[in-house]
Amino acid sequence: MSRPQPDSSPHCLEFHDVTVAYGRRPVLWNIDLTVDGPGLFGIIGPNGAGKSTLLKAALGLVPLAGGSVQFFGQPLGAVRTRVGYVPQRETVDWDFPVSVFDVVLMGTYARLGWFRRPGPRERELARDCLLRVGLADVANRQIGRLSGGQQQRVFLARALAQQADLYFLDEPMAGVDARSQEQIFAVLSALRAAGKLIVVVHHDLRSASEWFDRVALVDMRLIATGPAAEVLTPENLQRTYAGPLDVLDELGRAVARRERTP
Amino acid sequence: MDTLNLLGGSAGMHLWAIATAAVVAAGCAVVGTLLVVRRMSLLGDAISHAVLPGIVVAVLLGGRPGGLWVLVGAVVAALLTVWLTQVLHEGVGMSEDAGAGVVFTTLFALGVVLITLAASRIDLDPSCVLYGILELVPFDTLLLGGVEVPRAFLTAGLVFLCLLGGVTLLWKELLASAFDPAAAAAAGLPVAGLTTGLLAATALATVAGFEAVGAILVVAMLVVPAAAAELLVHRLHLVMGVAIALGVLGGIVGYLAAWQFNTSAAGMIAVVLGIEYALAVLLAPGHGILARAWAAAGLAWRVACEDRLAVQWRAEEGGERAADATTVLTRLVCLWLRGSGRIAADGRLLPLGQTEAMLIVRSHRLWEAWLGRHAELPLDHLHPPAEWIEHHLGSEVRRRIAADVGQPAGDPHGRTIPPED
Repeated sequence: MSRPQPDSSPHCLEFHDVTVAYGRRPVLWNIDLTVDGPGLFGIIGPNGAGKSTLLKAALGLVPLAGGSVQFFGQPLGAVRTRVGYVPQRETVDWDFPVSVFDVVLMGTYARLGWFRRPGPRERELARDCLLRVGLADVANRQIGRLSGGQQQRVFLARALAQQADLYFLDEPMAGVDARSQEQIFAVLSALRAAGKLIVVVHHDLRSASEWFDRVALVDMRLIATGPAAEVLTPENLQRTYAGPLDVLDELGRAVARRERTP
Repeated sequence: MDTLNLLGGSAGMHLWAIATAAVVAAGCAVVGTLLVVRRMSLLGDAISHAVLPGIVVAVLLGGRPGGLWVLVGAVVAALLTVWLTQVLHEGVGMSEDAGAGVVFTTLFALGVVLITLAASRIDLDPSCVLYGILELVPFDTLLLGGVEVPRAFLTAGLVFLCLLGGVTLLWKELLASAFDPAAAAAAGLPVAGLTTGLLAATALATVAGFEAVGAILVVAMLVVPAAAAELLVHRLHLVMGVAIALGVLGGIVGYLAAWQFNTSAAGMIAVVLGIEYALAVLLAPGHGILARAWAAAGLAWRVACEDRLAVQWRAEEGGERAADATTVLTRLVCLWLRGSGRIAADGRLLPLGQTEAMLIVRSHRLWEAWLGRHAELPLDHLHPPAEWIEHHLGSEVRRRIAADVGQPAGDPHGRTIPPED
């Protein structure tokens, strides 16, 4: 659970009035959100709400149209190795010629810096991470020959190998069998117990209150944030899932077309 | 006569031409591997064409074909192609492949027009640019430590060493950004810069190959060996190694074959590379056509053997005689079952055949029992699926199924399910 931080200690993650636009069209409006660890933090919202975009904006993968994001009180560039990222599984080509072990070893690259090759210590770490997600026996397999749940666990193992303090996971439970879901949740819980903050984009409401300590409800703007039990109220959910928010949607299109709304 | 030539004074010439083809192919395979695994082969195609105006302009400004300025001109033209494609994609909203198609054909055509216009002033033959003149490479030499070395070989060799060195130095960065660009960028890698570097390297590799094999066929060296290697091995460094080997082999074999049949060396090299790819499709372990056909034939034979054993077992269960084998396949199967000690000369099951047959029939009837319990199927629909599944049930899953349906003594038709010890 998050606990109050003394004023001197900076927040783990702070979105300050963040607006994100694709082209000229805003898709996330004025997100102001502070998250502290350790804990499992869920970003919940309907399809197209901009949940993944929020993560990508924080990581500098899509440009901010306004506002700023800070990690541990600093910009991302200063603390990159402390931030791990697990993208959606479909974003990579699983026919790519790499073994499971190769992918997990990639998690150690960021700390190594330019030109240096992973050595025995990095290999040992990668093997240990594979063990933690229960994939030690398929280490040498080509990644395309794994099930969806196994592929997701490979991604998780790669993030573990990064030894970060803050993890971003984009829909880690999507298209994953029940057993893998449990395993992933167990690994995330262990990370929380080790004092890490884990921010998870998630679409399934039923499991949300069970998995997350705190959540943020997002639909193009921040609707509510706080302890899961307090935020996931019927009223808030109604506001989140009531359908596209017409005003923001129409306004966004008008901005993109350089016009005025009707 | 030809053999005499090769062994005589022109042997050195041929060897230099072959060495040039090999080293060009090796350089192309290095960048080609990265292009193919990133699904960017088409961009390699585009760049190999679009560098032409860069080369022509460099020559017009006084550069020597195969010299440093020509390499620079080619890289500039390649980067221009990539940038223009990006502008068309992001600024105008054109799809990326259509944008690349427009840009590279236009630039290539511009190069062709420039060459023809300036034909009288520069030493650059359009047909040479398109098809290469590997056969003439040994005649343009540079004295190096007392040895006459063809310029084209030197350029291509230097480019190959640079590419190999760069790839070795940046291996983990290239691997991470090729596999998962988003995660690599989040970890702080300059993914866009690495991609631009790869495209500039593509321009270098193709220009080095221009003189030898021409603008059109150099694409074959870029894409085909890497595509074939990807079928054969499944880790990036192995793909690159095999691609280099296949490219070099194609260069050597292609040149010798062209010399034998007295035809275009560049054309023959590309044909040989195509044959290599076809062989990879045919022979690739696991997924190749032959491997799959072999696996299918193996299954068909096992099914035929198991079916025959089960037929015999059921006949003996009912105290009857099994029908004689009539087809060629079942006769072969009976011969083999007899030879391997599973059935006796009169067709009766021997102990080994008895055990195996019982397991097949047990699988069959257990599956019927499982379907009868879990699927809403009429009794007469249970047999066909069980007839198929019986060949795929192993002891572990059989045990779980038996437990699931409560270790029944009989199947839904009332027949006894044989035990498994």
